Amino acid sequence: MNFESKPLFVERMKKLLENEEDAKEYFEILSKPELKSFRVNTLKTTPEKLKEMLEKKNWKIKQPIKNHPEIMVVDSKLFPGELGRSLEHILGYYYVQEITSMLPILALNPKPEENILDLAASPGSKTTQIAALMKNAGTLIANDVKLQRIKILASNLERCGVTNEVITKSDGAALCRKLKMKNFLFDKILVDAPCSGEGTFRSMPKTFPAWNIKKIYSLSRIQKNLLENAIEVLKPNGEIVYSTCTHAPEENEEIINYVLEKFKNIRVEKITLPVKCRSGITKWNDEIFSDELKNTCRIYPQDNNTEGFFIAKLKKIK
Amino acid sequence: MDNQKFIPLKIMNERERKEILDKLNEQFGINEIPGKIVARGKDRLFLSSVGLSDTELKNIEDSIVIERVGVYFAKVDDLTGKIRLSIEGSQIFKNQIKKNIFEIQNNEDFEKWMKGQELNISTGKKDFLIMKYKDNFVGTGKASAEKISNFIPKNRRLKERG
Repeated sequence: MNFESKPLFVERMKKLLENEEDAKEYFEILSKPELKSFRVNTLKTTPEKLKEMLEKKNWKIKQPIKNHPEIMVVDSKLFPGELGRSLEHILGYYYVQEITSMLPILALNPKPEENILDLAASPGSKTTQIAALMKNAGTLIANDVKLQRIKILASNLERCGVTNEVITKSDGAALCRKLKMKNFLFDKILVDAPCSGEGTFRSMPKTFPAWNIKKIYSLSRIQKNLLENAIEVLKPNGEIVYSTCTHAPEENEEIINYVLEKFKNIRVEKITLPVKCRSGITKWNDEIFSDELKNTCRIYPQDNNTEGFFIAKLKKIK
Repeated sequence: MDNQKFIPLKIMNERERKEILDKLNEQFGINEIPGKIVARGKDRLFLSSVGLSDTELKNIEDSIVIERVGVYFAKVDDLTGKIRLSIEGSQIFKNQIKKNIFEIQNNEDFEKWMKGQELNISTGKKDFLIMKYKDNFVGTGKASAEKISNFIPKNRRLKERG
């Protein structure tokens, strides 16, 4: 990646990171190949059975996260695309998913019989993870706005044997408004918002040249709209996880701060995740954010040899 | 999922559901359907464990486009009216299926099957058979005099390395 072509990006990242050494490690890891991670689909098989199946193919399997045997990494050389082409993948026994992408759902902690909304669901990595933790019991509304993306979502939910989902096609904010009119409320909501994707430059370096600050500002407006509408359909005591795969504070802390100012019954909950997380920031350029933002979680690629992510968990108090 | 025109959800009533269960029982020995059956079009069947009542679902559908409910598990065959289970259908019912199972004998045939190819095997049957290899249930084939025809959709087929 030619970082010099985007000096503003470099400047912003250096400002976000702790010191020069931290920034150096960040930029270095972006050029290293990412881990070949995947998640066992417990709706169809168990970590033990799948591990045995894959080891018979001479794949070296590691389970790097304590207490999460479903999170696996292949630590042997594979042909390009082999992870997504294997028989076990076709049969829906696992989902190819980056480890940080699994973390918002660990924060959401879905339970069977709950009513859960996944507002921007495609391609379905987190939706299938939610369904697995719900054990296919309860209601999971999986929404996306574009038909092409819904086709991908439907195909992945089918492969994973998800039976408790309702797939809707709507603008996310409009969906929430319509559901509110029907007094349809949720126990938990995932707003995995469309974002500028700075956290995925390691696995998708081709997206780096498209980075620009105007896009970040534009996405920030969309994200605020999505989250504020989602809060309206959350039950009292309900929880929302807001996540992005980007580092830009305008798409992360600024969004949470916006809803904290707008809704007096929203609190930011502390999150415990099984990887190294850094606290959200409380100051960016001239903006000062609420101290509650310290409860949010920033994940940088150099901390866990992963991608980058931002995760916040909000609770609606009575 | 159809993008050409919107087809409303049809949640099967008790009578329609019993008709499907009777067929599943006759063909494969299945005794219980673990959820609601939702039909899209005249022959595609979806199995739903969604926790909403039929009224709640219809209420949502009044103002929001619902593209899918539950998993595609079976198709009613145009010619015979019999049921053909999808890969997921065969996996969901795997503990109940007692008859018309064809056990694929070796990995070579299993790979052929998963690549969407027919198997040139005479089973002595002319019927829909649930295809199985070791612990893997992989949908339904149609046995005729000398072969088993394959219905695995293109997007679920094993691809040659390339």
